[in-house]
Amino acid sequence: MLFLAIRHLLSRKKQTVLIFLGISLGTLMFTVISGMQLGMREFIEARLLSNTSHIQISARDNIIDRDEMTERFYGNQPVDWLVPPAGKREEAHIMYPQGWFDRLSNDPNVTGYSPSFTMNVIISHRESKYPSSLIGIIPTMYQQVMDLQKYVSEGRITDLSEGGNKVIIGVSMLKKLGSQIGDNILISSGLGELRPFKIVGTFSMGMEQIDDSLMFASLKDVQTLNKTPGQINGISVSLVNMERAHELASQWQLTSRDKVQSWEQANAQFLQIFDFQDYTRLAVTAAILIVAGFGIYNVLSIMISQKRKEIAILRSIGYPPKMIMELFLIQGIMLGVTGAIIGLGIGHLINMYLSTVSLGIGMGGDNTMTISYAPSIYIEGFLLAFISAILASFLPARAASKLTPLDIIRSDV
Amino acid sequence: MTIIAKNVIKEFGEPPTRVIQGIDLSIHDGEFVSISGRSGSGKSTLLYLLSTLDDPSYGHITIDGIEPQKMSVDELHRFRNQHLGFVFQFHFLLPELTALENVLLPARRDNRHYDKEDEARELFKTFGIVDKIHKLPSQLSGGEQQRVAIARALIMRPKYLFADEPTGSLDSKNGQIVMDILKRCNSEWGTTLVLVTHEAEYAAMAQREVFLIDGRVTENHTTS
Ligand SMILES: Nc1ncnc2c1ncn2[C@@H]1O[C@H](COP(=O)(O)OP(=O)(O)OP(=O)(O)O)[C@@H](O)[C@H]1O
Ligand SMILES: [Mg+2]
Repeated sequence: MLFLAIRHLLSRKKQTVLIFLGISLGTLMFTVISGMQLGMREFIEARLLSNTSHIQISARDNIIDRDEMTERFYGNQPVDWLVPPAGKREEAHIMYPQGWFDRLSNDPNVTGYSPSFTMNVIISHRESKYPSSLIGIIPTMYQQVMDLQKYVSEGRITDLSEGGNKVIIGVSMLKKLGSQIGDNILISSGLGELRPFKIVGTFSMGMEQIDDSLMFASLKDVQTLNKTPGQINGISVSLVNMERAHELASQWQLTSRDKVQSWEQANAQFLQIFDFQDYTRLAVTAAILIVAGFGIYNVLSIMISQKRKEIAILRSIGYPPKMIMELFLIQGIMLGVTGAIIGLGIGHLINMYLSTVSLGIGMGGDNTMTISYAPSIYIEGFLLAFISAILASFLPARAASKLTPLDIIRSDV
Repeated sequence: MTIIAKNVIKEFGEPPTRVIQGIDLSIHDGEFVSISGRSGSGKSTLLYLLSTLDDPSYGHITIDGIEPQKMSVDELHRFRNQHLGFVFQFHFLLPELTALENVLLPARRDNRHYDKEDEARELFKTFGIVDKIHKLPSQLSGGEQQRVAIARALIMRPKYLFADEPTGSLDSKNGQIVMDILKRCNSEWGTTLVLVTHEAEYAAMAQREVFLIDGRVTENHTTS
């Protein structure tokens, strides 16, 4: 029936081309919008992952529980507290780091882990004070978990040797301080005295709020600054397969009172935007494909009413109803498939072009739009067009297959 | 083998009106039977019943010993494709196919159009339209269109050829040409031919003439 289907389509070129355009446009839009949105998603996820590890284990604040205190001090006696015990018992830290280290180094899903101690500090420079987060790391271990070196614009993270009181700071912070590499800045924990740290490098992650507030130093130095030697309050973990982050995090959480979060959980609010984007993308595409689908439906319906006689003769020369149905289904599917392929092709070209256009705004990277070429875009786009073409041609095709030869031959004069 | 109709009744509508009012008829292999009668006497209806296109309301029709209603949809269509040929008053050619492609359409059903192409060309030659082989139906005259339609009905070498007023829309010259072809096809290939016509001259060319009045056979005689 392919032969006849093609002849039918060719015999009404104008309509065929119109439908074709509809479907192509639908899939084209889908490809471009998806490419841009998923590209943006990839871009932002990459940014998020540049300062979020696949799984982050962090210390929980140790909040004093009133009932627990009552029981501990007074047993079962009823107690009316004038001032009930409350507040944090001590600064949050991971209680039993070695347990985690043993566990992580034996887990085949884990490619690396990095203990850290993060604290809020105040930088005093010249006459001003700046708040900042100081992250104490062991550079070689940290590099295994997150490619910090990639974002380091000057210096090397391995320069953060123990006991050297050296820091790597964000480029924006460097600018704000008006300092240069090699300068000393004074850092205090807010409680203790000021200590001088030497700037040995800068990094740029492309996100302002990170580049002007984060600093890295060696773990030992930070512990010393905070007067909590040996304590850590975070472990960053990288996995073989980041898709499993959520699953593994929940699993580990079951047996630990430390907080275990996957990168998606840590950025949940942010990632919600993308769900919304998915809906708009599908809505736009669905609208276009519905229009194209109605086009297919109309063209086939009209064609079938015009071709009743031919359908009758096909039946009388031995073409069964299912072949008649095939004849019209094939036409719908051909429109859908070729329209989709052309739409996807042109969409792909547009995407390739878009990814070379300079945006002229500082986003980090090479300043062009990140476009996704994920295979799923092309597969989904194709399926959308294919399915809408099948749905749209099914009803007319079935109607055609139900025509009986007799009524038509008889009624025709 | 034969076509046998036993007490066939066909009703249409509600309340039912009987258009065919109890017909017994046998058509033998290789026979040329004409059916004639006034307009509305039920000629076409009878032809459709005899040729599997329609089912009787009552009574039985067997063709090659089988009742068409008892075949599956697929069997029925295969049977039509292999054993039956139809020619109607109007040619019903597919406008987007050339004359040759139209003729090969029945063979295309089971992808046999390549095997049948030589035969198709032979038919065009026999019918005197060999120069029209690659023309579209719209580029042909009425007589030529009807000859192409007959070639299409014959391409599968059917045992039975059913023709309903095949000359109805043709002038007498073209009508004569078409009748000659049908007659030859019966006499040379032994195709069983059932012809509905209201033209006495053509009806008389048959070996047996059947007359209908109001859905009843009033005459059924063999011509000498
Ligand atoms: N599907 C139908 N529904 C109702 N009535 C029908 C139907 N088909 C045929 N008839 C009626 O049956 C009668 C016989 O019709 P038929 O077409 O067999 O006549 P005919 O002898 O072929 O006439 P003509 O020479 O004009 O072609 C007519 O009165 C017609 O109106
Ligand atoms: Mg008639």
